[in-house]
Amino acid sequence: MLEWLNLHIAYWHWLVLGLLLVTAEIFVSGFILFWFGLAALAIGVLLMLVGIPITAQLLLWAGLSVALVLLWLKFIKPNWKDRTTSGMAMEALTGQVGSVIESNIGRPRGRLRFPAPILGEDEWQFMSTSEIAIGERVKVLNISGNTLVVSPL
Amino acid sequence: MEGLSVVVALVILVIITIGMGVRIVPQGSKHIVQRLGKYHSTLNPGMNIIIPYVDQVPYKVTTKDIVLDIPSQEVITEDNATIIANAVAYINIVSPEKAVYGVEDYEIAIQNLVQTALRSIIGEMSLDSALSSRDLIKAKLKEAISDDISDWGINLKTVEIQDINPSATMQKAMEEQAAAERQRRATVTRAEGEKQAAILEADGRLEASKRDAQAQIVLADASREAIERVTRAISDQELPVMYLLGERYIGALENLSASDNAKNIIFPADLPHAIKGLLNR
Repeated sequence: MLEWLNLHIAYWHWLVLGLLLVTAEIFVSGFILFWFGLAALAIGVLLMLVGIPITAQLLLWAGLSVALVLLWLKFIKPNWKDRTTSGMAMEALTGQVGSVIESNIGRPRGRLRFPAPILGEDEWQFMSTSEIAIGERVKVLNISGNTLVVSPL
Repeated sequence: MEGLSVVVALVILVIITIGMGVRIVPQGSKHIVQRLGKYHSTLNPGMNIIIPYVDQVPYKVTTKDIVLDIPSQEVITEDNATIIANAVAYINIVSPEKAVYGVEDYEIAIQNLVQTALRSIIGEMSLDSALSSRDLIKAKLKEAISDDISDWGINLKTVEIQDINPSATMQKAMEEQAAAERQRRATVTRAEGEKQAAILEADGRLEASKRDAQAQIVLADASREAIERVTRAISDQELPVMYLLGERYIGALENLSASDNAKNIIFPADLPHAIKGLLNR
């Protein structure tokens, strides 16, 4: 079996497997098969140059695949920034800066206004641990129900 | 041969393990990660790595707005009228972990909250104001609910009152009231028309009488004028009068003789005397 495989697995078998795996990526969720396909293509190219026993080929393929996935996750993916926060209420709100139009001094809650509507509304209730006077600018830290948790800038 | 089996098994293990470790979360949803049964983290859209076999994703939560249909219900207003109201609420999950762990089923929970809040808000209003002030109900509803849902990491974006209708019996009563009001107005209008007609008729009669009276006065004046003129013309001459009277007298006798039931006519012999008798001379 081992000898048969050693004799009959040619470099183009790896190339075909690689292409199939890369193509299969389209139909499966998760960005994993692509790297296995890429590794298979690399093994195919390597086989064209030097002869390697089949077990070594498989181990090399697995190792190369893992290495590619890790490389992708560690170095390339973190540099891709999120382009939208649409549909993400928390991310859209936190860090936004608005100005206070109703102070929370002596009351549990005040009101603030954003320069542009956020989540469909430009006026929100806020609470804060500190007392904030009208006109001060505040930064949103969190959201609790329909009330924002803010801190003065 | 053994070496090959181990290597193939290893390769399969590697693929499955990496496949389990990589989680792709589509935009518009977040995944909850539990590490050995305890909450660990929330995955944001994009590609995420979890530790295979240790971490699990038991909940996938949408962060898009959720449309909640609030079923219609009977509500009794302050003035004891029954109306049927339903609404539609738009909620947004802000903190998926709170929504998932804070309440068993947040959709049912919020539906019930909106229903009860709607009932209590309309219960404080009269029928007419409840039917006409939707915006006020909306604002109050949002205010009433937002505190309750804050523990669940959910934001109530808007709540709209869809239908707010009086119940069938109430609707019938209102229709009857409207019909009666119209009937009353029709009756008043008719009565006013009749009154106007009577006044106009009486006015007509009054005007006609006035004119009749004036006509009589004018006639009398004319007679007086005529008599005066005749008197003036005659002054103390008896003969023309006698002549005129004699002529009329004979004419009258002629007419008398021409009538059917007068067979015997007796002429006075002394005509001037007879006329003088008429004149009382």
